[in-house]
Amino acid sequence: MDFLSQTYIALRGPTGAPQSAVDTIAKLSDRLSPSTLLADRRAAVLSLKGLTRDCKEDVGDRALPGLIQVLQNDAEIDADIGKAVLETLHQLCEVDDATKDLALKHTDYVLANEQVTHTLFALLGDTNFYIRYATLQLLSTLLQNRRQQVQSYFLKAPSGAPSVIAVLEDKREIIRNESIVMIQALISQSPDIQKVLAFEGAFEKLFNTVSQEGGVEGGVISLDALRCVDGLLRFNSSNQSYFRETALPSLLCSLLLFPPNLLLQEAAPQEFALQFWDDQKVANVSLVIGIMGMLVGSKGGSGQESTIFVRCFVELALGSNAPTPLKTQALRLLPSNLSFPLSVVILTPYMPVPETNGEEWDRLEPASALDVLVELALHGEYNGLYGDKRVKEGLELRGAAVAVFDNFVHKEEIKQAIVQGMVPSEETTNAPSISPLLHALCLPPSSPLSLANVTTTHIATLLFSHLLASSPRSKALARSIKPSATPVAQGQFFVPADGAPSAPQPVEDDDDDAPQSVLHLLSENLSLCFLSRSRMEGTDDREAREWDRLIVGYLCLLVQWLWEDPKAVREFLDAGALGVLVEPINQTAESESIVPGLCAFLLGLCYEFNRQPGEITRATIYPIINRLGVDNLVGQMTRVREDERFKAVGPEAMVLSYPMHAPLGANPADAEGEIWFDWAFVDFWKSNHYTVQRGLAMDPNALAASSGPSAESAMLISSLRDVIRSQAQEIDDLQNKLKGNSVGESQLNDMRSRIVALESELQDSEGKRKDVEKEQEDLLVLLDEMSTKRRRDKERMRGAGLEVSEDEADDEDDDDGDDEE
Amino acid sequence: MAGITWHYVLKFIITGDAAVGKSSLLVRLTDQRFLANPDPTLGVEFGSKLIEIPEEGKIVKLQCWDTAGTESFRSITRSYYRGAAGCLLVYDVTSRASFANARSWLADVREHADPHLTCILVGNKVDLCEESGEGTSSGRREVPTEEAERWAEEEGLLFVEASAKSGRNVEAAFEQASRDILDKIKRGVFDDDRSPGVKLSRPTNGSLALDGASAKQGCCS
Repeated sequence: MDFLSQTYIALRGPTGAPQSAVDTIAKLSDRLSPSTLLADRRAAVLSLKGLTRDCKEDVGDRALPGLIQVLQNDAEIDADIGKAVLETLHQLCEVDDATKDLALKHTDYVLANEQVTHTLFALLGDTNFYIRYATLQLLSTLLQNRRQQVQSYFLKAPSGAPSVIAVLEDKREIIRNESIVMIQALISQSPDIQKVLAFEGAFEKLFNTVSQEGGVEGGVISLDALRCVDGLLRFNSSNQSYFRETALPSLLCSLLLFPPNLLLQEAAPQEFALQFWDDQKVANVSLVIGIMGMLVGSKGGSGQESTIFVRCFVELALGSNAPTPLKTQALRLLPSNLSFPLSVVILTPYMPVPETNGEEWDRLEPASALDVLVELALHGEYNGLYGDKRVKEGLELRGAAVAVFDNFVHKEEIKQAIVQGMVPSEETTNAPSISPLLHALCLPPSSPLSLANVTTTHIATLLFSHLLASSPRSKALARSIKPSATPVAQGQFFVPADGAPSAPQPVEDDDDDAPQSVLHLLSENLSLCFLSRSRMEGTDDREAREWDRLIVGYLCLLVQWLWEDPKAVREFLDAGALGVLVEPINQTAESESIVPGLCAFLLGLCYEFNRQPGEITRATIYPIINRLGVDNLVGQMTRVREDERFKAVGPEAMVLSYPMHAPLGANPADAEGEIWFDWAFVDFWKSNHYTVQRGLAMDPNALAASSGPSAESAMLISSLRDVIRSQAQEIDDLQNKLKGNSVGESQLNDMRSRIVALESELQDSEGKRKDVEKEQEDLLVLLDEMSTKRRRDKERMRGAGLEVSEDEADDEDDDDGDDEE
Repeated sequence: MAGITWHYVLKFIITGDAAVGKSSLLVRLTDQRFLANPDPTLGVEFGSKLIEIPEEGKIVKLQCWDTAGTESFRSITRSYYRGAAGCLLVYDVTSRASFANARSWLADVREHADPHLTCILVGNKVDLCEESGEGTSSGRREVPTEEAERWAEEEGLLFVEASAKSGRNVEAAFEQASRDILDKIKRGVFDDDRSPGVKLSRPTNGSLALDGASAKQGCCS
């Protein structure tokens, strides 16, 4: 304050006349120039800081260049002026509601070049508390206003990353906390900065902070540090592979009190399963398992690490007292091609002791993770303790469990094994113990409806349809399931470990009918539901809605079961299903659009796949369809697609808010939810509804458009056809070649005989030639003899003085002459 | 299992001109395969490997940061020099320019890195000279081995010629550099944690040791 008053006195001048703020700011700005004394500059900055609150614009206009100069020149040397100038700049750049544009303008000026940012990162290296703190605040503000600009300057700053890490290590908590906030903004969407900081050891520092704060029990600082870790890893594969190399992944498990080296056959410790939870801890743990899920989901994870993380998720979701949202998150984080042996891992579920407010827990009999998962889906948490309330959160968890089940039974062998387990074995005469899933599926609808039972049965239809979908073998097996009429006491599965196991009470079966097949039971239950539903019309909307839900559940399961399974269609029709289906289609109630549409679809499906000889043939159904009107049926099917309850379902979202009478001011966590469809069905419907629609208009004698061969076998057939075609082609080719070869051979034979003929001819002519030659030789010899004789005669004649013709002598002479020469 | 799976963690950076094969060297080291058509590295990429230095009886975990050679990333890659214990300075034996530029990379390293950093000069792509070596005079080689060796000696660098394609000398280059660093540690050049690039494996207690065990199985199997 000393400086302030001195400056004011100096500025007021001798007259004491009051000055305008603008004049004062102008004068103070002049004093910022380096030519003045440091003390004067310091006083000027402090005065300007005081004026900033009221005259932000004027200070910004006139003093900003000077302030920046002071920052660059003096801040390092003099902590007081440094602190003051940083705080002034912070005030000038901080966005508040009234002066957003102004603050952004100032920010842009400060960030006009990289100098200021570099200075700020250099100042972070200063150990003075106020300098560090004010610098962090200013950087946070600049990042908030113009993140990308600051980020690009940071990457060029000579000491950027090391000084950021240095503040992260600061022993003074306030600075460390402020730095975590700043880093969150700094790394946002910049893989390069994320990598630099990881290289400089940010992970270790951040986890140190988390540990110092008490791990997941820590407060908002733990949360911010974990958020930073998340930010450094998400969408950054290089950092993920670096992170995996460190000791930190197992530290993540340890943070949750989960032993990172737990073997598959060992049970998770109780200190992990039973913990105290508050909102802060939930947020922290949610981040930790989010990071774990990221490492499991991305490529390159080592098998062992992924396995332990998956195990941790399973334990958290199925065998712990973690709050519902965390369990849901853990189930959703399980990898999409789940290869975790759910049926092998044994875990220990817990139940809250009533009236203890979640402080005491009963330990239940160990069970396989798969059983607990199914139980969770069917009855909700803690064996349906809160089943009749149907809170949205709880439904989300059950929906996630259904999705995990679907994921788990994706493999054909697993599907078949589970269905096989429900088929009564031939050897045992007494009824096999019925599986909870089957029991829930066959639960007879009772009027008045119990909310918990509706949900249980509905979810059972979803689970069962996952077992059957697109698996002809499972469908065939499922047809032979004959659930014995002995119902299992609900919750028999969960037996308190300390209490005596309650033996299932065998219920006396009154009628000695042979046990019905599941398909029969379903169609019976369906018709019962329709009956009850029709009684409900107009009286109780809520209960009517529940009946509709149950009906939709049965219909969806039947649709997926009967698809491409003519034998099941036959059985369904024999159970008298036609009448059940036709009636709702006929009743065109305006309020309900889904049920008639689904019935129409199922009817069309039965028509399409009714390919087995039996009482009710295609020819029987055809007139019924015509009477209902093909257009009408198609229209009703289209309305399903347009229904909100159908449209709102996505791969991740199956739980909808319950639309009716939400009490005002209710806690959103207690909001009621409902489930209609799951994504698998929606997907199925979208890809197949056209086939059914087209099939409706077909003549009963026409061959099915898609019947018999499914797409897969059609492809197989076409590929086999291709093979045959190419092989036939090859055979032709070879035959042609063979033919060509045989032609050549006959030619060859011809040639050969001709050669023989020619050879003999040649021999003949050779012989002739030799004869001629010999004759000629003889003649020549004769000629020679003759000419010798003649010469002798001539000599004799000359000697005798007889005249001899000259010419021949000349010839001789000539010859002689020639010889001589 | 002795509880300790590595004795030291050494941070390495790989630097040099663009397209001399830095990423390929790293992939060869970590995955034992040749990266045929790599995209230019953006910023930096991370890779790691356990190697054994038998004469020291030590197992060393190499953490390698492969940096971008492109000029536009140079300011980013500089941030990595300071924290490294070793540096692979790579050039391409078939490119004179990349060898000439190695000087400026070295200057960069000297300016920003720890003064005790071990630097090894690696002439990459020697496979290209061997292939056509017999016919045309010394193939496509533009940088003679002797010249590079001489320069490395002048600058106090280790030197090796390697090929990421054939795998020749790649592991040897890292081993040679690691050996040099271990030697420096032995001579007490680094006080335990003073070099940011060298870390002793921490005392084995609780979860950390357990992680070490899991890391071993992950890496060596």
